[in-house]
Amino acid sequence: MLILISSAKLFAQSGAQEDLFSPNNRLKFANHLYSEKDYLRAIGEYKDFLKSTDNDTARFRFANSFLRIGRYDEAAQNFKILFIGSKLEEEAKLFYYQSLFFSKDFNAFQSNYDSRLNFPQKYSLTLDRLNSATYFLSKTNLPSEAVLIKPFEDSLQTKLIYFYQMMKNPPKKNPVTAALLSAAIPGAGKVYTGELTDGLIAFGATLLSGFLAVNNFQHDHNFRGWLFTGLTAFFYGGSIYGSAASAQIYNARLRFNLDSEIKIFFEERNYFLPKIDL
Amino acid sequence: MRKILYILFFLVSTAYSQTDWQKWEAKQVSYEFPTKSAAQTQNESASLTGTLLNSLKSVYSFLISDYDGDNCPFSPSCANFFVEAVEETNLISGTLMFADRFTRDMNVFKGVNHYSLHKNGKYFDPAINYTLNLQKIKFEMVNN
Amino acid sequence: MFRIRKYFVLFGIFCLQTIYSQNSVETQLAWADKLFASNQYFDAITEYKRVLFFDNRNELKAKIYFKIAKCYKAGAHLDEAINFFASVGKNATNDSTIFSAKLEIIRCNILRKTTERALQLCNELEKDGRFASNKNEINYWRGWTYMFADDWESASKIFGESPADKELKLLCNQVIDAKVSVTFATVISYILPGSGQIYSGKILSGLMSLAWNLAAGYFTVNAFIANRAFDGIVIGELVWLRFYRGNIENAKNFAVEKNFEVSNKALKFLQNEYRGLKP
Repeated sequence: MLILISSAKLFAQSGAQEDLFSPNNRLKFANHLYSEKDYLRAIGEYKDFLKSTDNDTARFRFANSFLRIGRYDEAAQNFKILFIGSKLEEEAKLFYYQSLFFSKDFNAFQSNYDSRLNFPQKYSLTLDRLNSATYFLSKTNLPSEAVLIKPFEDSLQTKLIYFYQMMKNPPKKNPVTAALLSAAIPGAGKVYTGELTDGLIAFGATLLSGFLAVNNFQHDHNFRGWLFTGLTAFFYGGSIYGSAASAQIYNARLRFNLDSEIKIFFEERNYFLPKIDL
Repeated sequence: MRKILYILFFLVSTAYSQTDWQKWEAKQVSYEFPTKSAAQTQNESASLTGTLLNSLKSVYSFLISDYDGDNCPFSPSCANFFVEAVEETNLISGTLMFADRFTRDMNVFKGVNHYSLHKNGKYFDPAINYTLNLQKIKFEMVNN
Repeated sequence: MFRIRKYFVLFGIFCLQTIYSQNSVETQLAWADKLFASNQYFDAITEYKRVLFFDNRNELKAKIYFKIAKCYKAGAHLDEAINFFASVGKNATNDSTIFSAKLEIIRCNILRKTTERALQLCNELEKDGRFASNKNEINYWRGWTYMFADDWESASKIFGESPADKELKLLCNQVIDAKVSVTFATVISYILPGSGQIYSGKILSGLMSLAWNLAAGYFTVNAFIANRAFDGIVIGELVWLRFYRGNIENAKNFAVEKNFEVSNKALKFLQNEYRGLKP
């Protein structure tokens, strides 16, 4: 069966007069698909073409198709093939880093960056920016501020310094402080974390139930007294715990907002990547 | 607002021709209308407290909450919040979390607070956000 | 199973080769058609595109765009399908191709439930003098559009115009009969709590609602009679009113839900059991 199939395939490729599957025609069709952004189909055609012929542009587009559709590992692998002795060596190196960058494997990017050799001068500024971006986006192992913001133009420095400071010393609220404040005055911790109305309600609820407890005891309504004592404890405990939780939520929101701000900052500028059409 | 517009722009500009960036198979389009309210996921818990709590909640919803309308402005509702809270932590912390939620529910000015809106138009306020674990806190939308 | 089918296709191509080996484009087209016939729509599109790339004749274009659009439709990619059906219209040379492409666009709109657009297209098509003799066909899809728009009265009316569509008209009428009135359910539960729920088929829920309202009402009234006005207001506001409002809310929701189920049951029937032409 297999032999039959392979012969059929062979026949299909060579039997016709104008062979649509000749390497040359495959390349033409691949380029057409590539220009139409039909990358997955282009990959199939380039792959077949590259089996028989080695061609730098085709290889580059093959790799770039992977990059465009988000298959970053395969993109990186194929850009790597172009590193030595190819006329697209310089671009391939830049795009290799792009593949690492977009795969979000920032550690791999950074270690590759630190041990880079012969990176083309032409794109070194772009690479430095990408490298900085990995630190802004991952927020771990931050190098010094000067190193990170150096590759960027003057008009962006203020914003980047702000990002850096927010990453290094975020204006967090301390959950313990919030809890202690609420332990002293119910709801004060909530005011500290910026939830003013919640704080006031917690204060009011604790105070009111406390007052009712005392009032009932004074009038010898012991059952009601204990009921309201329990309710007071409920509100009091809730406000202490809730204040600590509120501080944590405040901190999480701080980080969440900074994350999205940084992400949008770099996305809006397309990660400072030059437009290269090949 | 600008952020949202920006994200929309991105979606639109890249949506074209993306269909074929992944191989797809034949697929039937369902004629039926999509269900409006997603089915409530039942909390499944192996622990004894969890089971007890869940049965208590079922009784509560069968006897009361199914008939008194949609009153809770939060998602999950207070009863579900309590069950989630106890399951995430323990009975004591869960009760404290519930006390806090109860207090916040009494606040008539919830709108000025920082809750993000859930898809169903309610304030998104899951119990997990109150477990004091910074890593687990989640927001559904960017809150400006 | 899939692999065996693939081999079978390849074998088919092998056989076809011997017949068509003179003209590579024809061969290629046959190959693509084979892929199409064996439900490999993604690959079929690749091969159709290849034909188109190497042979750009206009009559071929319309034909191939039609096939590509069909592939996308079969993969539930309706937006792309519509785009390609529209391209057919731009390249086609004869009216019948243009007409079927336009009908296909309407059918895709029905499937993706953009029914207003589908209706608009039906109207445009009806006004087009070239297709005056195809009124029945246009109406058939208009009826389907109404069914997908959940407007079964209009659908029934449209299907009633043609004796051939009697089965669909009957189905529409069944749906209309099975549906409940949301307004009626709401109004009766204002008057008697729980009745709206019972009307929509949720008897237990209706009875529970009625019981709560009776109990809460009893305590409220009792408190007022015993001159405990404060208690009365508290119970009335916090308990009775709450259950009363909940009852109305439930009556409305259950009625909407019930109608939703009825519609979906009919649509499910259309999808799985109806034997006539479907979108």
